[in-house]
Amino acid sequence: MVGRFKILVVDDELIVRESLVGWLKKGGYQVDTAAGGREAISLLDQKDFDLVFLDIKMPDLGGIEVLKHIRVRYPQTMVVMITAYGSVETAVEAMKSGANDYLMKPFEPEQLTLLVEKLLQQRRIIEENLLLREQVAASEQVRYGDLIGSADCMQRLFDLIEEVAAVDSPVLLRGETGTGKELVAKAIHSKSGRRYGPFIPINCGGFTETLLESELFGHEIGSFTGAVRAKKGRLELAQGGTLFLDEIGEIPLKMQVDLLRVLEEKKFHRVGGTRDIPVDFRLISATHRDLAREIEQRNFRQDFFFRLNVIDIEIPPLRKRKEDVPLLADHFLKKFRRETNKPVEGIEADALELLMSYEWPGNVRELENAMERSVVLAKGRYLRKEDFAFLFRATAVPEEPRSLQEMEKRHIHRTLKSCGWNISRAARILEINRTTLHNKIRKYRLDAVERETDGRP
Amino acid sequence: MEDRREEPVFLEPVVSVCPLGDATAVDVRVVAANVQAVFDLGVDILERSPLPEEAFLADRRQYDAAAVLRHLDAMVRPPFRKILGVTTVDLCIPVFTHVFGEAHLGGRAAVVSSFRLRTNENGFKASIETYTHRLIKVALHELAHTRNLVHCDNPRCLMHFSPKVNHLDRLPILFCERCRYLLTQDWRRPAGMG
Repeated sequence: MVGRFKILVVDDELIVRESLVGWLKKGGYQVDTAAGGREAISLLDQKDFDLVFLDIKMPDLGGIEVLKHIRVRYPQTMVVMITAYGSVETAVEAMKSGANDYLMKPFEPEQLTLLVEKLLQQRRIIEENLLLREQVAASEQVRYGDLIGSADCMQRLFDLIEEVAAVDSPVLLRGETGTGKELVAKAIHSKSGRRYGPFIPINCGGFTETLLESELFGHEIGSFTGAVRAKKGRLELAQGGTLFLDEIGEIPLKMQVDLLRVLEEKKFHRVGGTRDIPVDFRLISATHRDLAREIEQRNFRQDFFFRLNVIDIEIPPLRKRKEDVPLLADHFLKKFRRETNKPVEGIEADALELLMSYEWPGNVRELENAMERSVVLAKGRYLRKEDFAFLFRATAVPEEPRSLQEMEKRHIHRTLKSCGWNISRAARILEINRTTLHNKIRKYRLDAVERETDGRP
Repeated sequence: MEDRREEPVFLEPVVSVCPLGDATAVDVRVVAANVQAVFDLGVDILERSPLPEEAFLADRRQYDAAAVLRHLDAMVRPPFRKILGVTTVDLCIPVFTHVFGEAHLGGRAAVVSSFRLRTNENGFKASIETYTHRLIKVALHELAHTRNLVHCDNPRCLMHFSPKVNHLDRLPILFCERCRYLLTQDWRRPAGMG
């Protein structure tokens, strides 16, 4: 654990540097040195350090000046002032300027060990809290009911759901298979005034015509062979709540007429019955078909389409919001880890990259299935590239060879996007420091690329 | 049944123990014997050597451990790969008030001082047995540093950091399983491999 922490020792006396380095290395820490204030600043600009031992008196640039620089540029870095010319005043000045502690030369070996352990423990706690806060902030931003998405198009969808939920008009959800149409329908229901009423879904494509009619309208005893008792249909069950008709494009023309009547008259009767049953539900329907074309081909009634399509919402396919792939993958990993009880802790970076490069024709559902399969079959603690090879067997298209620079540019851009342009997080994933990342963003003009493609600053 | 135990790799002397200044012959012999027994290595005792004059810090009335190590390092001759100095003077390094011993991490030289080991924390003189145990523990600990071992979190391991003699007294003359494994791996590397 200690080997992870990087310490910088800044002292103009070689013997002091050597002594401290030797001692700290024996403690298992990674240590760098600087012989003066200017060298220290240059090193700090190139590399991340967790802790800096800083001599107060140095000929080129004093320790207090370096400390002030650290506090402005690298506020998370811990600083311990060391001095042989110690006085209460300099110690007080150092602490006022933001030093975490100070040591007077010579000090007891135990003092050093205890101090380093204490500071690094503090640092660990701060890091964990930051991470936790980031996670909480991120999860608040990316979760909307059971929907997950940090991409701009998803944020716009969440806003739209809020607006749509406030009114009672019929909604038509359009989106490819597996994009989460039912989840959007549920989200609208749970945000609406009908949230205390039932949410009744039905997949219209899953039944034969007769059965669908019975499922929707219910039936009376003896209305058809096998109807041994009366049954309430989904229209009746949705009373006071929301009826979700999935795959509405699969509904036969005759039933479209029946449903249109229900929507207009707000009443219906069961199959085999004559009694009018009044209904009050909100209708949300969904389709992956192009209904305009279905109307042209006379497979779908235009009047019914207009009745359904008061509010039209399009749900983006996963390939248009690839920055959400890591979030969703992580969500499903946790879900299936819980369900399978397998000790899978995460996904290796190159495996995640592979997932982000895939087109996901089956959308989120396909990703969910892929994660389930990988977790169930996982052999180690981390899912590897090989665990997702099955996705590419049928669809792999060889990429044109590219230069190393182009690959680096693409990889950095992809990582930045996946982190929502959180520089610290991206730098951690890429295992480079923030300054290097900033330099590469400038070098490849990635911020300009982002402005052009996404409208981000 | 076939005996599958491996033959000892190093049969020739590997570590030299060097009495520095007025280190007692008994201390040197005890340290050498324990290095041989614990590390299972060939050990020889060198001729007595004076402490380097430049190591003495007049203002602190102590010896600079880094300077002593440099002096020892210059004394390493084949077939020896490591040298361990034994001294009675008070050692320090510039930032520390004192050290019981010092070593170059992954280097060739280590030194142990008996100066602060003879007295208990309460100021009373330690028994000869306690004193000898402390001397052995520091010597083995420092020598293990020359084999790249860093401080160990396990408080029952000889590589655990002990800033005070009462801490040293609580340690067994044993390395934990992890450190023992690392040591074994390191001793088996050919000469010149660190």
